Amino acid sequence: MKFRLIMAILSILALLASACGDDDDDAVGEPTPLATEAPASDSSGEGGSSPTEAPDDEGETPDDTAPQEVETDQSAGRFVFASAFPFVDLDPSSAFSAEHIVLQNVYESLTRFNPPGSSELLSPSLAVEWESNDDATFWTFKLRDGVTFHDGSPFNAEAVRASLQRTIDLGLGAAYIYLPIESMEVVDDLTISFSLAWPAPLDLVMSSAFAAYIMSPESVGQDSQWFNEGNGAGTGPYAIESVSPNENVILVRNDAYWGGWSAGQFDEVELRIIEDQVLAEQMIRSGDADFTFNLPFDSYASLDGVESLSVVRSLSMTNLFGLLNNVRLSAEVREALVLSFPYQDVVENLYGGEATRAVGPIPQTVWGAADGSSLPQTNLERAAAILSEAGVEDLTLTYSYDVGEVEQEQIGEVWKANLAEIGVDLVLEPLTWDARWEIAQGDPASAQDIFTMFWYPTYVTPTDFLYSLFRSEEFPFFNLGYYSNPEFDGLLDSADATSGTDVDAAIEMFREAQDILVADNAAVFMLDVPSVSVIRSDISGYTPNPAYANVVWFYDLRRTG
Amino acid sequence: MRILSGGSANYLLRRLVSSLLVILGVVTITFVVSRLVPSDPASLYAGARARPAQVEQVRQDLNLDAPLLSQYVSYIGDLVRGDFGISFATKRPIAQDLRRFLPATLELAFAATALSMLVGIPAGVAAAARRHRPSDTSLRLFAVLGVSVPVFWSALLLQLFFSSKLDWLPLAGRTDATTSFNEVTGFFLVDAVLSGSWSNVTDVAAHLVLPVAVMAAYPLGLTIRLIRGAMLEVLGADYIEAATVAQVPRSTVLSRLALKNSLLPALTILGLTFAYSVSSAFLVEAVFAWPGLGKYLTDAIVRADFPVITAAAMVIAVVYVAVNLILDLVQSWLDPRVQLS
Repeated sequence: MKFRLIMAILSILALLASACGDDDDDAVGEPTPLATEAPASDSSGEGGSSPTEAPDDEGETPDDTAPQEVETDQSAGRFVFASAFPFVDLDPSSAFSAEHIVLQNVYESLTRFNPPGSSELLSPSLAVEWESNDDATFWTFKLRDGVTFHDGSPFNAEAVRASLQRTIDLGLGAAYIYLPIESMEVVDDLTISFSLAWPAPLDLVMSSAFAAYIMSPESVGQDSQWFNEGNGAGTGPYAIESVSPNENVILVRNDAYWGGWSAGQFDEVELRIIEDQVLAEQMIRSGDADFTFNLPFDSYASLDGVESLSVVRSLSMTNLFGLLNNVRLSAEVREALVLSFPYQDVVENLYGGEATRAVGPIPQTVWGAADGSSLPQTNLERAAAILSEAGVEDLTLTYSYDVGEVEQEQIGEVWKANLAEIGVDLVLEPLTWDARWEIAQGDPASAQDIFTMFWYPTYVTPTDFLYSLFRSEEFPFFNLGYYSNPEFDGLLDSADATSGTDVDAAIEMFREAQDILVADNAAVFMLDVPSVSVIRSDISGYTPNPAYANVVWFYDLRRTG
Repeated sequence: MRILSGGSANYLLRRLVSSLLVILGVVTITFVVSRLVPSDPASLYAGARARPAQVEQVRQDLNLDAPLLSQYVSYIGDLVRGDFGISFATKRPIAQDLRRFLPATLELAFAATALSMLVGIPAGVAAAARRHRPSDTSLRLFAVLGVSVPVFWSALLLQLFFSSKLDWLPLAGRTDATTSFNEVTGFFLVDAVLSGSWSNVTDVAAHLVLPVAVMAAYPLGLTIRLIRGAMLEVLGADYIEAATVAQVPRSTVLSRLALKNSLLPALTILGLTFAYSVSSAFLVEAVFAWPGLGKYLTDAIVRADFPVITAAAMVIAVVYVAVNLILDLVQSWLDPRVQLS
């Protein structure tokens, strides 16, 4: 008996050992499933090209996945989204992280921001048209007729008022976007007006990726826990079927959706939380997932070779910069820092070479961004000359960054090497965000010299970047370079007020304000962060929209073939 | 029988009291440490970009502006009433989360421990019985691999082979999204059986295979080595020699005489390995997208979500204390020389 047991274990070992070495055998053994797959799938391009690719290493993966993919296709119209981020809070009023990936499909807002390059900034969503008075302090939105919530109740102006009031009253997450609102008035069943305490682009505010969702009257009366148990009724094309924390969210299509339905759309969506990058890559390769993002940047090149997958590259609305301590550092030192930054090295070597150099304080995907022409190139001689002219010697500076953030750390190392050449010692200080923030909010005179940070807009406006990061603050909040310039503040305020009524004029002012920041060397503007996602190539209709990071509107997708 | 005698009941009572003290200690230390690190629970609750006024409001609402001692007292008061509070990040009741995530992890840990004992004990006996022969060497090699190969690597290999290549087993998760049944116990294998549907059972079991295999690797290797070592020691004892001379069958010598005496030292280590796998499950959970306690706790630590950190630490302390207590009882039952006093 013991002998048999040993033999069993040994044979398992032998199996494992042989398994490691028989890739070739398997590749040869593949034609059988391929042959059965070919007639089933009418994407003949894929079936036809696989055999020619057989000697190639890459060719093996599509071979493996193709039969599975056909199975999924036949069994259900289900789309599987592998999310690198968990859905922490599904309350549409307070959610303020990756939950918008779910919520954008379940709830709708009054307006939707268009992807960069569109002719208009906004598209109608639950509002069909809107207008403001001349100074953007009074807004009227006409609402879409014939819309119902998932729970059957009608969508109307009162539902909009109650939803926004709930968000404002809770005061959590991104609720601060409504600070300008003084009062709301239900004019008639499908018209709502807003009086603002100061001018603001309320049409843009209503396109926010967070806190702009309209929910049914019954949902308005509920607390966060109710929403997080998978309840809640919006007007979107999908409704939440179930929520398993840290596991998945399942959406089913809302048959009564006002946009209607056509062939090839998905009946059901599973959003699976897959935080492990290696697992996510295996899932997209094997066909267990139809979409994923946030894979290791060096894996995209090999995924490019997989026929059943499309790698979609775009630029996000997130940028990375280093705020320079305007209290501790003289204008000369700040200029030397800006000149010593290794712009080219950083863009070429980080994010698998997919990032782009910043064009200014605002990412290039955001309207009103500068063209980058006023930004300097790395020039160590010039930086050294500036320091010696100013009589600066034996300078030691601190660089505060997020512990565990590989990109910020690598940037620090390369920059440190550059600075060493001009006699400046850069001390890298990795800390958790909370710790860094607490220190930075203390006395600027004893705080860090350089504070690295990512930023993205809550709703898409240059103001989000410029106001939060550079407008004078009595107590430091996010202006952690402690920049203060009354001229800049005045220009920014008028630009923001103008953006509600005259976008072109506002853009001029925003650009002027950014030129001031560049001229003052308020910060080192490093790079715009790339956004890369992978989707199965037989699914069409996906257009990344950086205003809603990593969101897929499942309603837009069609299974072709 | 012996366990329930007067002296033992007294012993049990004392152990329970000291266990409570240990748990209270863990809760206190975790509470204090998680509040001393620089982080602001109110701003976690209010959101990443909440304005100072919003954060201040939350601080008052959640009673976070009270002195730490009074917060501690009210926290312990809530705990005693069974109220774990809510997570500041997810705003979900922690008790509800624990009911969900703890069984997921325990299911893995139980299955891994069971597997490592069912396979490891016979394998250890076999290795000892065939000392220095090739089968012994292979088993020892296997044991060394088990304890030394990192889980993320073995997991990746198993996933690539059994899931991506052969498509025999699912890559990750606890069930297919299409599988659903009443979650009575939170142990999905049990729930699937209760649902009376064979397809539920096979689905849950298939999802368990790879994570359990990966999680069992370490305790399995350990069991083989421990049992083998203990057996070799016992097999050299005089009474075994006497039994052999008396022509007691070899299988009886091995199982009835030697194994029983070898199990004792291995038992303690195995129990602690079980408790250890509960607290270190996060690696396996991460690789298999397994929604368990380890994942829950590491998320909370990263977010500085102190009510969750404290509650999860308490649960893990309870598991350790309980396992230790059970081990002591089992040991005294197995070995009359061990006194419960």
